[in-house]
Amino acid sequence: MTAVLLLLVVVPALAAVVAGSLRSDAARRVVAVVAAGVVAVLALAVLPAALRAPVLVELGDVPWLAGLVEGPMFGVLLDPLSAVLLLVAAVIGFLTVLYSTGYLREANRDHPVGHEGQARYYFWLLAFLASMTGVAVAPSFLQLLVFWELTTVCSWALISFRQDGPSLAAGFKALVMTHVGGAFLLTAVLVLFAVTGSFGFDALARLPDQLRPWVFLMLVVAAWAKSAQVPLHTWLPDAMAAPTPISAYLHAAAMVKAGVYLVARAASSGWAMPPRVAVVLGAMAVVTMFVALSYYFVQDDLKRLLAFSTIAHLGYVLLGVALGALGSLTAFRGGVLHIACHGFAKATLFLCAGAIAYVTGSRSIAALGGLARTMPLTAAAFFTGVLAVAGLPPFACFWSKFMILSGAMELRGPVGPVVLVLVLVESLVAFAWLLHVGQKVFLGAPTPAAAVHSDPPAAMSVVLVVLMIGCLVVPAVAMPLVLGLVR
Amino acid sequence: MSDASLLGVAALLVLAGAAVSLALARWRRPAGWVATGFVVAAAVPAWLVVVRTFAGGGWVHPTSVGLPSLGARLNIAVDPLSAFFLAVLATVAPLATLYSVEYMTHYRRDGVAKFYPVLLVFFAATAGVLVVDDFLFFLVFWELMTLSGFFLVVFERDSAVSQRAGLKYFVITHAATLAMVAAALVVWRRTSSFAFADLGRGVDGLLAGQPLIGHLVLFLFALGFATKAGVLPMGDWLPDAHPVAPSGVSAMLSGVLVKLGIYGLLRLLVPFLPVGPAAPVWGAAIALAGTASLFVATLTALRQSDSKRLLAFSTIGQIGYVVLGIGVAVAMLPAHPTVASLALLGALLHVGGHACAKACLFLGAGALLYRTGERDLRRLAGAGAVMPVTAASATTAALSISGVPPLAGFASKWLIIGACLLAGFVAPLYLVLALVALFISLVTLALFVQLLGSVFLAAPAPPRPAAEVPGSMAVPQAVLAGLTVAIGLVPFALLAPLRDAVAVVLPTAVPAAAELAGGPLGLVLRVDGRALAFWAPLVVVAVAVLVALLVHVLARRATAGVREVPVWHCGEEHDLAAVQVPVGGMYLPFKRAFEGIYPRVAVRAPRFPPWLRRVLDLDTWLYGPAARALGRGAAGVARSHVGIPQVYLLWIVIGAVAVVGLLLGLLGTGGAP
Repeated sequence: MTAVLLLLVVVPALAAVVAGSLRSDAARRVVAVVAAGVVAVLALAVLPAALRAPVLVELGDVPWLAGLVEGPMFGVLLDPLSAVLLLVAAVIGFLTVLYSTGYLREANRDHPVGHEGQARYYFWLLAFLASMTGVAVAPSFLQLLVFWELTTVCSWALISFRQDGPSLAAGFKALVMTHVGGAFLLTAVLVLFAVTGSFGFDALARLPDQLRPWVFLMLVVAAWAKSAQVPLHTWLPDAMAAPTPISAYLHAAAMVKAGVYLVARAASSGWAMPPRVAVVLGAMAVVTMFVALSYYFVQDDLKRLLAFSTIAHLGYVLLGVALGALGSLTAFRGGVLHIACHGFAKATLFLCAGAIAYVTGSRSIAALGGLARTMPLTAAAFFTGVLAVAGLPPFACFWSKFMILSGAMELRGPVGPVVLVLVLVESLVAFAWLLHVGQKVFLGAPTPAAAVHSDPPAAMSVVLVVLMIGCLVVPAVAMPLVLGLVR
Repeated sequence: MSDASLLGVAALLVLAGAAVSLALARWRRPAGWVATGFVVAAAVPAWLVVVRTFAGGGWVHPTSVGLPSLGARLNIAVDPLSAFFLAVLATVAPLATLYSVEYMTHYRRDGVAKFYPVLLVFFAATAGVLVVDDFLFFLVFWELMTLSGFFLVVFERDSAVSQRAGLKYFVITHAATLAMVAAALVVWRRTSSFAFADLGRGVDGLLAGQPLIGHLVLFLFALGFATKAGVLPMGDWLPDAHPVAPSGVSAMLSGVLVKLGIYGLLRLLVPFLPVGPAAPVWGAAIALAGTASLFVATLTALRQSDSKRLLAFSTIGQIGYVVLGIGVAVAMLPAHPTVASLALLGALLHVGGHACAKACLFLGAGALLYRTGERDLRRLAGAGAVMPVTAASATTAALSISGVPPLAGFASKWLIIGACLLAGFVAPLYLVLALVALFISLVTLALFVQLLGSVFLAAPAPPRPAAEVPGSMAVPQAVLAGLTVAIGLVPFALLAPLRDAVAVVLPTAVPAAAELAGGPLGLVLRVDGRALAFWAPLVVVAVAVLVALLVHVLARRATAGVREVPVWHCGEEHDLAAVQVPVGGMYLPFKRAFEGIYPRVAVRAPRFPPWLRRVLDLDTWLYGPAARALGRGAAGVARSHVGIPQVYLLWIVIGAVAVVGLLLGLLGTGGAP
């Protein structure tokens, strides 16, 4: 088991080096797909073990701190919460790599990529996959921090992939903002170590009462930066300058989920989050949802719209975690389930946007129309994604949102009805707008931009089909894991 | 085979049909025939379950699917109420699918890959709504039904009208559904279970402890289901959505989908209403809503010139009758349960009769559209000679909806208005409502006389239909029209099942069917054992047939000849087209009097306040300036690197002195023994 978990990190790291140094593009694609496939298969294989027998193995420590640290420093961890993140990171990672083999071509009308960009891209993508699985299996805050910063670096490199003015600026902005979050995380980890002598997750519960709110608040701010929540949300819409598979993977399914994973981990290790911090977390989550909603109506770029939707949905996860910290296990489970459900649903939407951009060269909602005639599969996938993200049963996010709402109602006092009304209003407006956009782009009379004759390559279509199935099936897969989360 | 497995078989057949018709979608007619075959095959076990449930009573089959942590479990539960609606579905659905086989060939630009699979999923979802007894899974099937309905409504991709109608339908019904979710979660807070029975107990608890919240919950449920049923003003989506769908789908939407809203009211509102002092208030509110709906909608229908839009408004009107019946039932329940049972009986019978009749009418409108390409009533004329089956079916169905004896609509309206009049003895409000309902019945008749007269009877004018529609389109219409006749002639055959369904809804004891409204040859309105009125359709029809035979025999024996003369136009010769009363010209005083009855409300999109937009734009006033200040600070620090070695040496000397001084200071204070 330990070996398998280590392989999850080592295999993509090695593959990154290999893929980066190969000269042949075809060989590079094969290496990337195989490595990502191995990671996905291994991740799925360890999921049942996460429920039956959670694993925490210490593998080493830093020589000059030996004896001063109690609890794990470096090692591997597998429990239901990390299994959910692993599910999303590994499976969508594999699908993203597969999709990229079709997307990064000269034939891409939106973003033609020749030979010179391929090595860079696959290196950083596989390095990111390794960093993400590293975050998922980290048994202590220290290892989490190390891999967290690695994901920041990979994200910077991938956002600036095109290396033109706007993408370099966007990459730098993302780097600085998420690194500010990383600084808060570092401070929190150092304070934790200084006071309790441990880097482990359960050390949070051993913090004295005066210090605990500050440490938790610092962790929350780190998560806000990483997961693009208000007030540190402005980097994500600009990060849409990245190639679309990167937007789908990093900035919808994986990297931004590392932030909410951190908060979920901090909240559930010992259930020590102070109620005031939980209230702040929940309130800012709701504010984020509505701020993001307010930006929907002025977007013409399809990817920017999806970026704002991602920001709102990460708010849902944090709302679930906050309600969980206030006492409702159902809401916490709903928030964690939303990590998986939203990951799949949003990845579907982003990859459809990528397919549209590949074939038509346009991402503008105003310019596109009637695409369902020439791209029926993409249309089906897009509407599946919209229905999933909006939370319509039986699709993915319905179950997680419903659990969050039920959890809110489990709490005493006015919190429940207030959250209920706000979330339902946001759900309705977001659903109406996304449906309207979907109708505008796919249904209706065809516009000149839609007069395309080519279908996206097979690799991209296959991934869309798998993601559509995922939008229906992932709640069933993730629910047993989520139900394994206990107080 | 157990009932649950029969339903499982039916569900599998429908889903298999969806998959197979998707695979065959390139060939329209074969895909249609395959879909029809699967739906008919699925209707057989469904009907078996219906019959067995009526014979043997309700049953519950638990499954292992569920979310125990939330208190939700998927049980397959069929009782006489579900069985009745399932029967309606299992009747109209195969006929609508059969009709669509030929009908869908007239769409040139849109293929059927997005039609038959979605239609079959729609059927499966609708059946799913009817057979669950837990709110969470009810919600799953309900939304699945709504979303498949959306994709059917927006079938015509190129039409902006269709797209807009579909969006309006989906958003309005989704908003209503979310209101119901909120209400259910408020009740769940008390009960921790989503089962209908537990929700009922929870509502009772809320009404006892926090009556304001309890009534709000009931109001939200009412709102949600009334929106789906098409009660005005929430039902504003209906006149836009029903016409733009393919006609087979319009028949399903008006025939079955809105009835699911009624089912929801009967399952999740009426049983939850308190049987006490609040009941007459609720009943009056529901009855008023129904009456307002039937009044406004039918008068608006009078002014429509699009055949399908007219039928959609008529649907809203007829649903108003059903809601009126439900309102009377709720109001009369505490004091006069017999009257309540009669009203609900009439409402349910109206559901069945209207489903058949309205589906038939939509299929007829579709038949005209198929043959002439025309939906505008001002341009359709004289199709009756060429399309006899369509004309006869549409006439029968229209007369049934108008409440003309001896058809189904008359029997159900007789019951509803009779119960309403009886209620009027207790509360005069219902007398007024009954009179309004009677008046609107007349208006409905006028409406359909106008429709039928101009479309089928007037002298033919282009565009002329070339021929009758193919058999696969004519048979469903004939069958549905025949059903309205059958229900009308022998309504007492349905009394026992309907009475069982009523007993499921009303918490008090309902008299047996024979005592309630049964009579030897027809229906009898009975209160406290006394018969107040009776309706014996078979006798009336028999007498009418005898008289007709007599007249026919006498006419055959008459020896005076028949003289054919042209129509007298006061001495002048006129072209028939010039003197024929066009559709737009009938009932002008009425149309003028009720011109503004359906208000048009201009909804402007709210503007986002610009100052808030500026506040939220953190990049502009926070991060940008901060980054630039940092840059300036860094540039300032960079200026201290002048590049002259002597200056750096000076820095080193000053620094060394400072560090040594600090160390000496620290050692001095720390090192004293």
